[in-house]
Amino acid sequence: MNTLTVLVPALPIVSAILTHLLSPAFGRRVARLSVGFTLLTFLAAATSLGLALAGEPNHAVSLGKGWGIILFDPLSSLMALVISGISFIVHLYSVRYMAEETGYARFFVLLDLMTASLLIMVSAGDLITLLIAWHMIGVMLYFLLGQDTQSPSAYRYGMWTFMVYRIGDIPLVLAAVVLFHTYGSWSLTFIFEQLAANPNAETFFGLPVAEVVGALVALAAFARSAQFLLHTWLPYTMEGPTPVSALMHAGIVNSGGFLINRFAPLYIHTGDVLHWVFVVGLLTAVIGSVLMLAQNDVKKSLGYSTMGQMGFMIMECGVGAFSLAIFHLIAHGLFKGTMFLSAGGVIGKARHDDGVPKDDLYTFVVEREAPKVQQPLLMMVGITLVIPVLVLVLTHWWVAPDLYQRQGAVILLFFGWITGAQLLFSTYHMKAANPWRLLGLILVSFIVVVVGYTLISHAFDIFLYKDPEFASQLYRAAGIDIVWFDTLVIVTTIIVVLGWVRAYRVEKLGSLIDQKPSHWWMNFYSLISREFYMIDFYSGLHRRLLAASARLNVWFRWG
Amino acid sequence: MKMSYLILLLIALFLPLFPLSIVFNAVYARLTHPLLRMALLLGWPLAGLYLYSVLQPQLPGWLVSWALATAVFYAFRLLAMREMGIWSGYFATSAWACLWLPLLYGDANTMLYVFWFGVPLLLLALLVSGLERRYGAAYTELYGGLAQTIPRFSGVFVVTVLALVATPVFPAFLGMLNILVASEPLVAITLAGMWAIWSWAGMRLIQGMIVGDPSSDVIEDLPLIYTWGFGVLMLLLIGAGFTLTGNF
Repeated sequence: MNTLTVLVPALPIVSAILTHLLSPAFGRRVARLSVGFTLLTFLAAATSLGLALAGEPNHAVSLGKGWGIILFDPLSSLMALVISGISFIVHLYSVRYMAEETGYARFFVLLDLMTASLLIMVSAGDLITLLIAWHMIGVMLYFLLGQDTQSPSAYRYGMWTFMVYRIGDIPLVLAAVVLFHTYGSWSLTFIFEQLAANPNAETFFGLPVAEVVGALVALAAFARSAQFLLHTWLPYTMEGPTPVSALMHAGIVNSGGFLINRFAPLYIHTGDVLHWVFVVGLLTAVIGSVLMLAQNDVKKSLGYSTMGQMGFMIMECGVGAFSLAIFHLIAHGLFKGTMFLSAGGVIGKARHDDGVPKDDLYTFVVEREAPKVQQPLLMMVGITLVIPVLVLVLTHWWVAPDLYQRQGAVILLFFGWITGAQLLFSTYHMKAANPWRLLGLILVSFIVVVVGYTLISHAFDIFLYKDPEFASQLYRAAGIDIVWFDTLVIVTTIIVVLGWVRAYRVEKLGSLIDQKPSHWWMNFYSLISREFYMIDFYSGLHRRLLAASARLNVWFRWG
Repeated sequence: MKMSYLILLLIALFLPLFPLSIVFNAVYARLTHPLLRMALLLGWPLAGLYLYSVLQPQLPGWLVSWALATAVFYAFRLLAMREMGIWSGYFATSAWACLWLPLLYGDANTMLYVFWFGVPLLLLALLVSGLERRYGAAYTELYGGLAQTIPRFSGVFVVTVLALVATPVFPAFLGMLNILVASEPLVAITLAGMWAIWSWAGMRLIQGMIVGDPSSDVIEDLPLIYTWGFGVLMLLLIGAGFTLTGNF
């Protein structure tokens, strides 16, 4: 078992070394070796996950004194399977996709090293190993994004990514320093045991360890998962090869959610940190989605879509739904990876035939043609509001009757309700021969999605956090005063309902589309179309820092 | 009292603290032969450590601020420096100023840190000399495209710079971690920030050399045997780092 635990992160390293050494002899065929090793890694990870599902107890393998610890636990085995699976697909895809690029063997070496870094990160059982892997991911990504060494723009945006990652390294390094100072050990297991024994332990300046480290770890996660203010690198890193974009959006950017989960035993002892995590995640989800809608560049739009999803993932951590964040990052990874890898094929096909069926959905979404006969609006609003609530409540009550005691679950249900209501409400506009059939189909789809999502996320909860008390503690740590909570839910509901009332009035009084947009609206649009001027701000700051450095060199030119 | 300050100033000349660091950089800039530069890069801080071990002065706490200010000052200046010879001198100044911290903390590994940063610095000095021989000058963004023109040289160059800016798994990374662990919070924050500036400067250096269109002239690449030798040296360095300073 110990061999298998070490084998999973070791295989890609062996592959990288062999690919580099054998490339002069084998030429481009060496890529097959790399693909073969990645398949082996995937099989080893699948076996490891199978053992974890079969109830194999958690354990750790130590390769050095005090650090170099490789963990085997549900979280590491699950993440290892996801990473090796996505990496295998990316390897396979790259064999032909990169065939005409220079540095073909180097690309596979870097892919292998990136896979190894990710696998070491998810299985790191101590802070030094975690820091090494965390740091190496940034370095590998920089060189992968700059695979085309003749493209200065690829390197320029690669540098943005690298620097945000390095900024994100700083809080993690500081968190490690604080933990080592307090507990005198790098081992995560030991640290979490000590923390459980004395949750109120203090560190520098008498500050509580859990709060300080929780905040620092969250900051590191924010930088890695492109949270607001640290997000600009993500939409601009499309210059790298498509397989790298797929790997980045499907795996690397999810590291933040993983990191917060790894430190879950620490977060149950925190007070306010998870609330801030929620606020940052919510802000990122909203801003990412708004910016996505405002883009006219499809690639940037995809980048902002990932940013919005990462915001949602971090927000899930903020409400205490840690295992749901893991499910979310896996689902999003598979979805976004598929999108990137199939983009080339879709574009190729679209050149011959757009392949869009001229059905009800097409006439509504593309041609914006309203139906001739509409159902009564009030009846539709009633269905829209009630049915999603019923579906969500019944499904969640089915898997866990006590779920409504958790504020985080209520917030996520609230989001589910809004999404479901929006979906159903859209059918009101759609032109269909049989609107009730259409509504029924949408409803069935919604129920399938909600039931599937609820069941799988519940399964993740049981697998990752076997102790129900631990999961409850996470929700409690994320909870706020019940009066505040209820007030917030009511205020948000009022805002959402007012939005719907406005939509109702617009329907009754006629479309706003023909009206001239207000000055306020145009200002808002220019703000989001310029991405809140954040790119300009960071570019200006970058230029000023370099100019200041150059000025210093002129002033002190003698040494 | 005056005597102890004079001793400190003498050591601060060799473990360079600004403005005394100007002496090191002025001397370094005037040397053109790579062996002389290498001797100075390694000999200068070793002389400082030797003086410290012989004279055993009492180190006042405020030296931390002075050392950090010097280290950050030179790290920041790296960002806009395009001449690679001067760049390596500035980096050396920044790294050697950091040596005051382990001295203040009583870290027995201080001498080793000279080698963890010194070996990549020596290699960089050799590479600078190689570039000057091939192109007549070693400036970033002057010719570029080295990744295509001289790929083996570029590979060695990239790994050397990564080792220098304390990237894992190179020993300078372990050295930085050791120093950070022993530091007070504000010192640790400053040091970690400076470390990020090193990385930024290092990546700018790499970017300015390897990216771009390949040269149409035929430029001699690094012989294969040298590349293997470099690889073995790096493996030895990594092994030594883990063995000697990896035991936290």
